[in-house]
Amino acid sequence: MKNSIKVQRAIHDMTQADLAEKIGVSRQTINAMEKNKYVPSTVLSLKIAKLFKKPVEDIFFLEDND
Amino acid sequence: MKTNYLLPHTYKIWGWILLILGVFSGIFLIIIEYETNILTVPVIAIYSDPFIGEAGFFEIIENSILDELASIAIIVGGLIVGFSKEKIEDEFIYKLRKDSLVWAIIFNYFVLIFSIVFIYDLTFFHVLVYNMFTPLLFFIIRFNFLKLKSRSHEE
Repeated sequence: MKNSIKVQRAIHDMTQADLAEKIGVSRQTINAMEKNKYVPSTVLSLKIAKLFKKPVEDIFFLEDND
Repeated sequence: MKTNYLLPHTYKIWGWILLILGVFSGIFLIIIEYETNILTVPVIAIYSDPFIGEAGFFEIIENSILDELASIAIIVGGLIVGFSKEKIEDEFIYKLRKDSLVWAIIFNYFVLIFSIVFIYDLTFFHVLVYNMFTPLLFFIIRFNFLKLKSRSHEE
């Protein structure tokens, strides 16, 4: 699974630490997601989508091998 | 992230102290080859079969409890270190912890298989002693390594 968290962060002018604090996770978690090393849970994905006021599908996308 | 088996983060430092104390007294015991009279006290043995004398159930025997204390310190300290919350406990840390546990079990048994095949006689006794603690120690090392690795990849 891929995501556009980094792009969304840039649009909202947030650092990894800002986003981490807003959704209550560690900065490493944001970093791991942006590097596609960690697939977040449904709860976390929904929280991120809600914060950016976008549907989940606009932030997280399936890849061909998923 | 809600988990029912993790201790509060403040316990972690006490876990480290206990673990380090245990490891150092363990190393001391290995150096003196477990021959010591320090802290010799009467203890209850469920079953005891000494080299000299009769075997028996539920006897009170004299024993140096330094090795017992060291073992318990390593195990309890290790459990506390491995299973207390991080400063920010979230689902990613939870995954790292689980992955480290799986890695530690598999790695430990590979090392044990290697030891069974290539280590014999009394030396194998030492392998058995170490193997009481290695799953926990490998887990702690792996977990902290993964945490460090995830921290070092900055933006």
